[in-house]
Amino acid sequence: MAALQEKKSCSQRMEEFQRYCWNPDTGQMLGRTLSRWVWISLYYVGFYVVMTGIFALCIYTLMCTLDPYTPDYQDQLKSPGVTLRPDVYGEKGLDISYNVSDNRTWVHLVHTLHDFLAGYSPASQEDSINCTSEKYFFQESFQAPNHTKFSCKFTADMLQNCSGLTDPNFGFAEGKPCFIIKMNRIVNFLPSNGTAPRADCALLDPHEDARPLQVEYYPPNGTFSLHYFPYYGRKAQPHYSNPLVAAKLLNVPRNTEVLVVCKILADHVTFDNPHDPYEGKVEFKLNILQ
Amino acid sequence: MTKKTLEIYSVELSGTKDIQQTDKGNGKEKYRGLKNCFEPRKNHYKEELRKEVDLDDHKLSIKELEKKYDTNIITGLSSTQAAELLARNGPNALTPPKETPEIIKFLKQMVGGFSILLWIGAILCWIAYGIQYSMNTSSSLDNVYLGCVLALVVILTGIFAYYQEAKSTNIMATFNKMIPQQALVIRDSEKMTIPAEELVVGDIVEIRGGDRIPADIRLLSVQGCKVDNSSLTGESEPQPRSSEFTHDSPLETKNIGFYSTTCLEGTATGMVINTGDRTIIGQIASLASGVGNEKTPIAIEIQHFVHIVAGVAVSIGILFFIIAVSLKYQVLDSIIFLIGIIVANVPEGLLATVTVTLSLTAKRMAKKNCLVKNLEAVETLGSTSIICSDKTGTLTQNRMTVAHLWFDNQIFIADTSEDHSNQVFDQSSGTWASLSKIITLCNRAEFSPGQESVPIMKRVVVGDASETALLKFSEVILGDVMEIRKRNHKVAEIPFNSTNKFQLSIHKTDDPNDQRFLLVMKGAPERILEKCSTIMVNGQKQPLDKNTAEAFHTAYMELGGLGERVLGFCHLYLPADEFPETYTFDVDTMNFPTSNLCFVGLLSMIDPPRSTVPDAVTKCRSAGIKVIMVTGDHPITAKAIAKSVGIISANSETVEDIAKRLHIAVEQVNKRDAKAAVVTGMELKDMSPEQLDELLTNYSEIVFARTSPQQKLIIVEGCQRQNAVVAVTGDGVNDSPALKKADIGIAMGIAGSDAAKNAADMILLDDNFASIVTGVEEGRLIFDNLKKTIAYTLTKNIAELCPFLIYIIVGLPLPIGTITILFIDLGTDIIPSIALAYEKAESDIMNRKPRHKKKDRLVNQQLAIYSYLHIGLMQAVGAFVAYFTVYAQEGFKPSILINIRVEWEDSNVNDLEDSYGQQWTWYQRKYLEWMGYTAFFVGIMVQQIADLIIRKTRRNSIFQQGLFRPQYWFVAVPFAILIWVYDEVRKLFIRLYPGSWWDKNMYY
Repeated sequence: MAALQEKKSCSQRMEEFQRYCWNPDTGQMLGRTLSRWVWISLYYVGFYVVMTGIFALCIYTLMCTLDPYTPDYQDQLKSPGVTLRPDVYGEKGLDISYNVSDNRTWVHLVHTLHDFLAGYSPASQEDSINCTSEKYFFQESFQAPNHTKFSCKFTADMLQNCSGLTDPNFGFAEGKPCFIIKMNRIVNFLPSNGTAPRADCALLDPHEDARPLQVEYYPPNGTFSLHYFPYYGRKAQPHYSNPLVAAKLLNVPRNTEVLVVCKILADHVTFDNPHDPYEGKVEFKLNILQ
Repeated sequence: MTKKTLEIYSVELSGTKDIQQTDKGNGKEKYRGLKNCFEPRKNHYKEELRKEVDLDDHKLSIKELEKKYDTNIITGLSSTQAAELLARNGPNALTPPKETPEIIKFLKQMVGGFSILLWIGAILCWIAYGIQYSMNTSSSLDNVYLGCVLALVVILTGIFAYYQEAKSTNIMATFNKMIPQQALVIRDSEKMTIPAEELVVGDIVEIRGGDRIPADIRLLSVQGCKVDNSSLTGESEPQPRSSEFTHDSPLETKNIGFYSTTCLEGTATGMVINTGDRTIIGQIASLASGVGNEKTPIAIEIQHFVHIVAGVAVSIGILFFIIAVSLKYQVLDSIIFLIGIIVANVPEGLLATVTVTLSLTAKRMAKKNCLVKNLEAVETLGSTSIICSDKTGTLTQNRMTVAHLWFDNQIFIADTSEDHSNQVFDQSSGTWASLSKIITLCNRAEFSPGQESVPIMKRVVVGDASETALLKFSEVILGDVMEIRKRNHKVAEIPFNSTNKFQLSIHKTDDPNDQRFLLVMKGAPERILEKCSTIMVNGQKQPLDKNTAEAFHTAYMELGGLGERVLGFCHLYLPADEFPETYTFDVDTMNFPTSNLCFVGLLSMIDPPRSTVPDAVTKCRSAGIKVIMVTGDHPITAKAIAKSVGIISANSETVEDIAKRLHIAVEQVNKRDAKAAVVTGMELKDMSPEQLDELLTNYSEIVFARTSPQQKLIIVEGCQRQNAVVAVTGDGVNDSPALKKADIGIAMGIAGSDAAKNAADMILLDDNFASIVTGVEEGRLIFDNLKKTIAYTLTKNIAELCPFLIYIIVGLPLPIGTITILFIDLGTDIIPSIALAYEKAESDIMNRKPRHKKKDRLVNQQLAIYSYLHIGLMQAVGAFVAYFTVYAQEGFKPSILINIRVEWEDSNVNDLEDSYGQQWTWYQRKYLEWMGYTAFFVGIMVQQIADLIIRKTRRNSIFQQGLFRPQYWFVAVPFAILIWVYDEVRKLFIRLYPGSWWDKNMYY
């Protein structure tokens, strides 16, 4: 605005600007002579090279101090999150709605499950070992090939009726859909003190008159076997797959939206964090139309 | 010899000529060269001047006047006439300057300079939220909060600044108390006292010594009346008035008395010819209100700074808008980024910081008797490069004081300091005894009663200025004058009048053995000398021969040349045989000798400079500030004062001085040889603006004398054309237009007229010119410190902006959030940046040149680049390292963070894998993100501590400047540990013994 007060004409300003761009008297471009520009550029190049170097050095040092197998701190991951497949999100969270009689409305859900379970085919699990013990599978040393630790197999067929092998429609066609519950990985996390963690699905605030939700769990009882724990991290267990639990909802009321919550019941898994709806539990809306 | 004598008196004549011609001419001619934008104001001046010239009542005879105003000088107006006129012309009072409504003042604080940037920021925030909301109704409210906080900052700072201003206005209001004035008026053939406000044109008023003249009056009959016109013309000497028309110019003629001037002595009757705003004073006051307020330098600097910040913000914003669009972001997203970048560049805390800093300085200055009316004016004084100072009352004490004595063929110097305490001249001579007796006895002035405890120099005296000076002078040296006068009983007296030009009294002596009467006389020296045949030297009478007469003339010339008013003193002991004790003296027939007296000595008086002024002027000089004297007084007096205070330094000469020294004509002198110049109003009138510019650049020591208020304006404008920041000091009404025009107008708190105080930006509460020097020092310091503050504040801007840029380009999780940035800007950074205002000066700031208005900017390229691209960048790098450390130690190594943004921010992705294969829910990530904010915040904070320390100085090492000694940080550490341990023990016992006495008392 100060410039406006001086009331220069436009041509005057242009002339001044031109002169600023190239001043023939002093040989200055944009206020500096060529050699000055070279010097100042050199200075800045030098300055920024040094600063980049310092930054790189800091990051390098930081990387050197990190443990390759376990993160330094896990204070943000006290309790694992839980996710659900199929995962269709609505305005607020998971929202699954389909029409039994119209297979176009659920074929993509089935497709999602098939895709997801592709990672659990015997072929993709062949680098893992079979585990039978129902105890934690502690491994102190790196006995697996390539200096790694063993991972336990989890194949889709363990989900029986919800494996997609016996019923490729995962029960969606008859209105008894399968939902696959997955617990997030946390390095060195032990979910409980000896009993296997188990998934438990129920209706959230059911109506008085509503019947309790009948659920069939696969593997039986909806347990995550303890031999999948602890997880030793990506570098130690490159072939690790999360154990899964499938819940087949048998009596979902039709044509009404119900809110289903699947919790993980284990000593060290909390599901009552008011801020985080996905910690230790997963909630979803389900609306089966007929 | 006589020729030279005439020269002194001709000063007055030519002086009067100046002003008359100036007044007629300058309005039309002086502004010819000015730019077109001044057109409306030019007309305004013209109009004012025309009015002034229109006044011709002083030329009319009494009969014509009676006719013109339909009045009668014996009976006065009838009350019905008066009521009519009052209704038509309004009351006889100056319209107070238009008060800006409080709400406007308040709003001005809200939208000025810096605030506008914040407002724009706030509005952009709301717009951004609007866009976000239209896309996704569940978008975060951060932008709304940010906008509200910005608005709140502006409003709070505005309230604070408004409060500050209101506070100083309140102090002003106490000055404005005016005692309602009364006037003695003849109406319906009756004398009555009415409030001066009710006077109308044509009223016949009577005034007495001590009265303020209630309106512009044409004097009809006068008895020994003298008026003090100093507030109007700057002449410190009392001006005699008479009923005769003596001069064409209304300002110079003796038969006009001006509104608001004071009648010092005598009585007069006059007819009111102008009332209220139509009086000369009223016209000058409205001239002042016609002058626009100039922008303060600091306001210009802040505007410049806003330009820089806005320029940087907008160019980075647009650059990244283009980058974002080319990175295939949605256009709406890119617009939000653009707004975010612009808002991130707004230094939210700076407005508050600057305001607080300025008011802290204002407070500090107020303690040193500089009251700042406008906060921004605090700095203006620091950048001042020219001070145009009024003489009377500012540089001088505004009272006549005995400066020199001449007796025994010798000139003695009297002490003219404020208290006269140090009279060192030789008082042993017999001549001094006689002289002191004349001074004491031939004097009608008296102290007002009841002032025994008041220091002599401060006592109120009834009498004119020179008699007052003589009275105080003798009181200081001889003691109780009234007692001496009582002992030497006065038997006859002829008071001073302009035809006699002397004053005479006859006394009985206090010597009981001496029956002779003593005749004492004082007056214009040449008149006194004419009446003398002898002269007293060393107490002995000697015949007055040619040599002594020549010595007298030399002394007279010398004292007159100093711009002093010279009085001659003589006496005669009347022979006892001719004049026995019972002799009756008749002053009308003069039955006593008034010739062949004995000349005793000369005494000269001047309105002396304040004792602190010469030192202050020297300091201004060394600070590179040019001090120019602009006065309405005579050139000789002005020059003498200028010399004695150092405005014209001892070894510099004017062109005239050189001519005189070399005995050549003034035209032959090489003008480059002269450093000093004394320019009268008349000469100034004939100058083109170019010539004035040349004068101002070529001479370093300039005195303007006999200038009119309009010419003061021209001088100020001339100085401003030189790119100078001009300070004007003044006290009179005649100074108020210039005070307003100046970059900073400084009015005198005690002697200043209300008009001057209203027009000024700053008020010297103690009327001491030396306070200006303090002001300059504070002003310069605050400029330096503001620079430091801004450099400090700007630095972190880059550290706050970089995360956002990296976030857009590289797709990292956002390193620092808006609210966190606000917390830095308005929380942690405010106090350190205010603390910088207390930083002491790095080097002697009073020994460097004032800053160049256009070149030494508050925020220059170097400051911006150093803060943004050097320190700011380092800060950003440091904070990023902290950020990466937190993420890496929690599981996200830098490599995985790149381009993670979309998944990271998707609240539907609840199993995002980190570098270790762990899976994170959205909320867990969010929590980590907040931890990242904290890391980044702490990173900036820690580096801001270093930034704060480096900003303490710009050139010196911190170790030269001094720092709080580091060891003292640790003195209290053991106690800190003690507190910690004590509390752990408390908690331990609470846990160990629940429900116990300890638990009940200590658990909170």
